[in-house]
Amino acid sequence: MTTSTTSRRLWPTVLPAAAVVTVAIVGPALAPHAVDHAVGITFEKPNSAAWLGGDRLGQDVTSQLLRGGWGLLLLGAIIALLVTAFAAILGSIAALHPRTGAWIERTADLGMLLPPVLAILLFMLSWPESGAVGLVVVSVIAGTPYSARVFAAAATGVAASGFIEAAQARGERLSYLIFRELLPNLRETLLTQLGLRFVEAMYLVSTAAFLQLPTTLGDANWAVMVRENASGILLNPAAVLAPSVAIGLLAVSVNSAVAAFGRGRSSV
Amino acid sequence: MIALTGLVVRRLGLLIALLAVVFVVVDLLPGNAARAVLGRDAGADRIAAKEHELGLDRPLPVRFWNWFSGAATGDFGTTARGQSVNELLAAKFPQTLLLASVAMLATVVISLLCGLWWSARPTGFTARVMQPSSAFVIAVPEFVVATLLVLVFSLWLDWLPAVTFTDRSGYPASPEMLILPVAALAIPQAGWNSRVVRGALIDAAAAPHVESAVLNGLPERTVLLRHVLPFALPTIATSFATSVGTLFGGALVVETIFNYPGMGAMVAGSVSDRDTALVAAVVAMTGTTIMCVLLLADAIRAWANRGRR
Repeated sequence: MTTSTTSRRLWPTVLPAAAVVTVAIVGPALAPHAVDHAVGITFEKPNSAAWLGGDRLGQDVTSQLLRGGWGLLLLGAIIALLVTAFAAILGSIAALHPRTGAWIERTADLGMLLPPVLAILLFMLSWPESGAVGLVVVSVIAGTPYSARVFAAAATGVAASGFIEAAQARGERLSYLIFRELLPNLRETLLTQLGLRFVEAMYLVSTAAFLQLPTTLGDANWAVMVRENASGILLNPAAVLAPSVAIGLLAVSVNSAVAAFGRGRSSV
Repeated sequence: MIALTGLVVRRLGLLIALLAVVFVVVDLLPGNAARAVLGRDAGADRIAAKEHELGLDRPLPVRFWNWFSGAATGDFGTTARGQSVNELLAAKFPQTLLLASVAMLATVVISLLCGLWWSARPTGFTARVMQPSSAFVIAVPEFVVATLLVLVFSLWLDWLPAVTFTDRSGYPASPEMLILPVAALAIPQAGWNSRVVRGALIDAAAAPHVESAVLNGLPERTVLLRHVLPFALPTIATSFATSVGTLFGGALVVETIFNYPGMGAMVAGSVSDRDTALVAAVVAMTGTTIMCVLLLADAIRAWANRGRR
């Protein structure tokens, strides 16, 4: 497959993700009403003044929708970046030192016994003051071992090749081996993992937000909108449906972008 | 046999490690149950009295031993408000177990059927539907799936109830109230596992002995059941086992949405109470359940590989 056909197939799957992300980021500037501005009665039906109607407090759903994405996105992106970075380094070390690999394996096994959502709940109930930082910390701890295992598997093949052995024989430092020799050869794994970790992080962040953890995440995010407006789903379905669709659209488009990217590269 | 014993010992070691993690999180993090119960403006002496009552003033190793020996024998102590955690769990855990088991059963059946169908016709209409739809349900959080289900099946079609009512036994009043919660839990898991089943079957079908079985003219069903499936089974079983954990995590959310009377809704509701003793007990019980399922997957793997080593 040539590069041009790859990119032609890549764009249609990447565009929706880019569009949702753009809307979530510039959304607050586009919101027609203030967040605490009531446009009508509680669960007002969609009308010309409020395209998606009102929520439980009669506030404009469109404005809330435009404002409610960037917080989730930012947290998701931070978690995805941190997990991928840690996992890439740990996975490389594991490939160079199998004994470290055994420890990562064990930690990942432990993670299987502790579902991430429960881990977040346990951690954030014990230490609610940790807020969004705490959420990031638990999500990174929960996601890294699994991702590191993927990196270790990918790096093992590279670590066995001659140029790594030559660098080791030269007496290069571990950091040189990881950042100069190993990771440049794992670009595809890096990018695919980054995308997958982002989907997973969005899942965790929005589920935590739905469970009102951390309490400081803000009241106008998409997950909280779904929860709070669920009671009025009969009166104004848009107040629940719109944020649900926003989360779904983002997750699916990023996921398919990752899949398209992985496929396009592997067949080149 | 020795290998299996080693596995059991390793899994038990992991379970103990999990309990230690739970204890450390609950005990060493700055949050304090006594303060949480009494509120911000409680006096120092009242907090000290409550701490003494909850045993927080004893040395750390003593507390860990007390909690651990209690947890190991199935006694999870009391919540900060003085209720017995065991009683709370006994009242709610069976309902969650019912929900999770039915969802797990649905996951296994759906993903086996879809995976089989999909791997048999990798480029047909099914594949073109399965590819994007499984990606959708894998990526989307359970509460979004649940919301869409409620909207379609309760509000637009009016076929199924959107909330669960309990009768006097504490269980949902009618079986149809289980359908939507089970679907919301099972659909994401089925999407994920269908992909695993398909992948495992395709890999197993590429093995040389399968080709020779096909060339020998064995019927398709025999090839699938006797030559492909046993090879794919360990991967499939492990994938199902890992789904159990995600199911319990998802139950927290799904039970809240459908007002289902299980421990998930209770735990999610205890967020404002900061009831760490309850959450710790739930994590410990969930971990134990998952460990048992993983052991089952190990046993299936050992059985599928019998006589092969």
